[in-house]
Amino acid sequence: MSKLQRILNSREARKLFRDKIAVVALVLIAGYLLIALLLMCGVLPPKAYADVVGPSNSRGLFLSENAEKRYEIARTAMLGKVKRALQREDVEVALDEVHLGWLRVAEKPPEELKSIVEESLELQRQLKAFERLDDDPDAKALLTAFEQKTNQLVAPLSGADYFMHNAALLLGTDAQGRSILFRALYSIKVAIQIGVVTALVCVLIGALLGSAAGYFGGWVDYVVVWLYTTFSSIPNLVLLVIIAYAFTTSGSDAKDTLLPVYIAFCATFWIGTCRVVRGETLKLKQMEYVQAAKTAGFGSFRVLFRHILPNTSHLMLINFSLLLIGAIKSEVILSYLGLGVKGQPSWGLMIRDAGNNGDVMTGFFWQIGTATAFMFVLVLAFNILSDALQDAFDPKHL
Amino acid sequence: MWAFVFRRVIYNIPVFLAIVFMVMWILSYRDPVPAMMGKNASEEEIQSKRVELGLDKPLAERYVTRLKEIVLLDFSQELWTMPGLTVGELLRQAVPISLALTLPALFLTTVISVCIGLISAYARGRWLDRSLVFAAVLGMSISFLVYIIFGQYLGSYQLGRLVNRPIFAIYGYEPGIQNWAYYMLLPVMISVIVSMGYNTRFYRAVMVEETTQDYITTAWSKGATTSKIMFVHMLRNAMIPIITRVMITLPLLVTGSILLERYFGIPGMGEALLNAINNNDFPVIEIFSSIFAGLFICSIILTDVLYAVFDPRVRLQ
Amino acid sequence: MRTSGPNTLDPVQGSTQYDNRACSMVYQTLLQYRYLKRPVELVPLLLAEMPEVSDGGRRYRFRLRNDVYFHDHPCFPSGKGRKLVADDVFYSFKRLADNGNLPKAWWLLKETIVGFDEYRAEQNEVEEFDYDAPVEGMKRINDYEFEILLKQPFYRFTYVLAMFQTAVVPREAVEYYGPRFSRHPVGTGAFVFDRWDIGSQITYRRNPNYWEEYYPEDPGLNKDGSEPYPGYQEDKEMGFYVDAGKRLPLVDRVDLEFFVQAQPKWLKFRKKEVDYTIVPAENFEEAYIKRTVRLKQEFADEGVRSHAEPLLDMIYMGFNMEDPVFGGYDEKRKWLRQAIALAVDWQEWNETFYNGLNIIYDGPIPPGLEGHPQDHSLPQAYRGPDLQRARQLLEKAGYPNGEGLPKLEFYVSRGERNPEVSEMTTRNLARIGVRLDVRLVDFSTLMDAVRNKRAPAFSFAWGSDYPDAENNLQLFYGPNRSPSSNNFNYDRPEYNVLYEQARVMPPSPERTKLYEQMRDMVVEDVPVIGSMARTRYYLIHDRLRNFKPTEDFFNWPKYLNVKQP
Repeated sequence: MSKLQRILNSREARKLFRDKIAVVALVLIAGYLLIALLLMCGVLPPKAYADVVGPSNSRGLFLSENAEKRYEIARTAMLGKVKRALQREDVEVALDEVHLGWLRVAEKPPEELKSIVEESLELQRQLKAFERLDDDPDAKALLTAFEQKTNQLVAPLSGADYFMHNAALLLGTDAQGRSILFRALYSIKVAIQIGVVTALVCVLIGALLGSAAGYFGGWVDYVVVWLYTTFSSIPNLVLLVIIAYAFTTSGSDAKDTLLPVYIAFCATFWIGTCRVVRGETLKLKQMEYVQAAKTAGFGSFRVLFRHILPNTSHLMLINFSLLLIGAIKSEVILSYLGLGVKGQPSWGLMIRDAGNNGDVMTGFFWQIGTATAFMFVLVLAFNILSDALQDAFDPKHL
Repeated sequence: MWAFVFRRVIYNIPVFLAIVFMVMWILSYRDPVPAMMGKNASEEEIQSKRVELGLDKPLAERYVTRLKEIVLLDFSQELWTMPGLTVGELLRQAVPISLALTLPALFLTTVISVCIGLISAYARGRWLDRSLVFAAVLGMSISFLVYIIFGQYLGSYQLGRLVNRPIFAIYGYEPGIQNWAYYMLLPVMISVIVSMGYNTRFYRAVMVEETTQDYITTAWSKGATTSKIMFVHMLRNAMIPIITRVMITLPLLVTGSILLERYFGIPGMGEALLNAINNNDFPVIEIFSSIFAGLFICSIILTDVLYAVFDPRVRLQ
Repeated sequence: MRTSGPNTLDPVQGSTQYDNRACSMVYQTLLQYRYLKRPVELVPLLLAEMPEVSDGGRRYRFRLRNDVYFHDHPCFPSGKGRKLVADDVFYSFKRLADNGNLPKAWWLLKETIVGFDEYRAEQNEVEEFDYDAPVEGMKRINDYEFEILLKQPFYRFTYVLAMFQTAVVPREAVEYYGPRFSRHPVGTGAFVFDRWDIGSQITYRRNPNYWEEYYPEDPGLNKDGSEPYPGYQEDKEMGFYVDAGKRLPLVDRVDLEFFVQAQPKWLKFRKKEVDYTIVPAENFEEAYIKRTVRLKQEFADEGVRSHAEPLLDMIYMGFNMEDPVFGGYDEKRKWLRQAIALAVDWQEWNETFYNGLNIIYDGPIPPGLEGHPQDHSLPQAYRGPDLQRARQLLEKAGYPNGEGLPKLEFYVSRGERNPEVSEMTTRNLARIGVRLDVRLVDFSTLMDAVRNKRAPAFSFAWGSDYPDAENNLQLFYGPNRSPSSNNFNYDRPEYNVLYEQARVMPPSPERTKLYEQMRDMVVEDVPVIGSMARTRYYLIHDRLRNFKPTEDFFNWPKYLNVKQP
């Protein structure tokens, strides 16, 4: 029987798998992990989540917009760009440069484009004369004509481009006109990265220091306890913010822009694990089999690594999933303060943007809603999983 | 007992020293002066400002000076960004405001979640318990920021429009008990809702643990009523974890809540601290951190002492 | 307003617009701008008449009003406010020289008044700064008359006299409060300071002993029926002259409220809890029909009026001209910067973040000032996007498609929507292969990096301190290099000569010509990519009367009135 099979057949694992909700959560987490992995392999081109793909703040699910918004969309999509391109000397090149996401200029001779642009501008002038667009039938008709005219500037899409274009607009666009769906999808990678790295490092540091402190006692214990009391006595937020600031400023190699976030989180999050593992080690030390191993003359490190650490693994597992949640949720706060993720989308940034841009006030919930929903599912799944883990391994844990 | 307190205090002195040093050390990597002097300052003015603030001195020397001030409880240093305002004055202004937000929030959170925890533990395994636990998990899975954004939108804007007069302030603060509900109640409610998830789960676990204890079985067999068992026997015995948790949270209260204060324009400590960090106002950061650390250490010691008071089984060694 | 509040209420320590607003309520300067008049015009405030200028613009003779009293305050014997005299003016100027006051505005008077720089150097050396020591260029004639001698006929001196940093403060109050003076202002203004809740608001009350200042008289139409100044008719219709001739101030109490977040400020305005607001870009479409830039009917029905105020403003991206890769004056480096300039899409910036309401212009001189190009554009300017030309220039500079070019470190302050703006810039430049390494830093780090010449490129906004293009052109004057105001470290001898000529000239076509020459040099060398000037949209509730928004001066609350319900 392989080790994996043994783990899967253990009492705890069987208990875990009996919990149907936990299994669903596991499946969800696996799904997220898979997406994150795919994203790390570069499945989604940067164009999809970083570039402008459509009008600003458009609604998702292809819901219809109000008249003013339709006017705005028709005006900003291609018209201005084509108009400017046509004014340039190197018209062909300039037209070729024009694009909006996957949309390109229709392949028509410049003269024809020019006349379309002029007709559109004429319609635009006429539209400007109306005080309101939504109740006047003339205005409505003009608006439809305007939309159709400007649409003639756009080359029709097909195949993969068509799919990507529509997928990009599926959940609407943010204030800059970027795809909300793709940004939220890409954020899965960022969230998993931050969560896994932070949780892994914290659990590692916490477990090593905690077990060492508990096992060796004496000055080692004193130093470790001193260290974590010190860290926990600095206001959490001050520590987070100061560290994030210090590293965003001095880090000369900003290639990995997540580094300050990792460091800030690790500095604050290891304490909990360390405390728990230390307590457990103190308990295990008294156990007969540890005493036996000691009297059998095994070295301290061997006892520590072979007999004590493996027996705290359930604590590590639980702490891992708790820390992961903590990291993902804290990322939002750091990003809100402008110290979090940079140069790539994240849920925190999306929520921050939605708050800053007044999306909520104007009743545009697509961005904040999507980011919250994506995050909600992941965090919920981990919450359920860690509950189930706790039930299975450590039913008496508070 | 006094010997115990004394020993713990001595034991924590190096912790305190290290905290002050760490904060100062991390801060020393930043140069706050050019920004302070504005867009038109000359190099010479910047240098003289640096001397004025004592930033030309080595870290060790500044550390010793700062420590001396802290030990003597001398908080008369002026803010760098607001000359004329001392750190002491700032703290006196901002901390009570933060407390007006965080204390009621902590109180309500604790009372409500202990009650829910009790109910949940009492109905353990039944649908009521399950749905309560599940609701807690759901609540925990949404970001704090989302709660605030929607809380402000629904609570002060939409509600105000619905009844056509302001119920809760959107922004701002005025001192005075009569203004408290208008400015603070909504932030307090948001804060309670946010922390409810964690707390309910925690207290439920505490109560579940208690239900398995022998004394409860004994009480049952003696024919005590359900409510008596729940509120008298269990609650009293669950006091230790409750108090521990509350005690540990107490020092955190003075830091206020950065996000809530920012969004609702409450000039509390969180806001002041974030401003200080943004503007590199070192005296504020250093002194506040040390005060916080002091409080934190005190609360740890106090918790241990309280343990002994509430649980005669625990002895202070 | 959108800020966490002013930092200080001491004029000499102030630098931001918020300090200006808060100080202008209490303190007064020798000159002020005439209310309602556009373009702005200086008129006497604490002076009885405009200064007499002689000696080819070097000798200024002033006569103070003799009915101005300081606010009643315990710092004066008997608690009654004392009369303002000439020595108070000198004392207030000297405070700018005293490093012990942490002044931020010394540059206003630097190398301006005869003997003042020497006095400053001398007094800052000795233990006790002696305010009674004489300065050669400051001559007291009697209590109400004095003279000031300038080193050169600097034209900007008159503007300086209207800036809040040179406002007159009483010595008694400074000595009474010591360092706490910056939180307890005592001045001569129409309002007295009441309370300051840090981070939320400042309250002022009417000054009961305010000297006799009156609301500006209605100038009436000129004899030929033309307007005395552009926009007069409109002002008249708005009822701005209803209170003409009334004694100031008109209201009993003024609250300045500070908001860090745009959202609550907007909500509070909507609930009529604040009288006016600048429309946050995010809420623009809620209030205006973007198509016509007209206020929506439902707002107009509520009695809200709108005002658009163009700013003397310059949003730009700058280069450090001393940077080994991106700086420098040789052809290749110039091409490189020109290429980068051509890749920036100002239109997108404007549309995405400012609803397309800003004015994009070429060169460093904002609209409304002499030397600003016609139609905001210059044919020779490198305004993007013109990717084809950008790529060609980049290739000529030796970096075809950006190959071999190191990442451009681009410093941006992390406030407001800058993170999003920098994402857009990165995207724009990536199209020609120039890679940006965006450093989103807090404002102090940004300042630090620019001053120490560590930032090869950076993004800033410069609001003119006074309405003269000289204020923008000095940003490129060699001797003003970092750590002074020339953040670009732009230093061209030809330019410096022109600037030195222009700064001592009064406004004239010849001076405008010099301004244009300097502007064109900057446009060709591209130490700066830009620019864009914002227009502020104000929404004002019906209740608030006489409010004609401006961002050039801030002592207007004394003219405000409220409609009685």
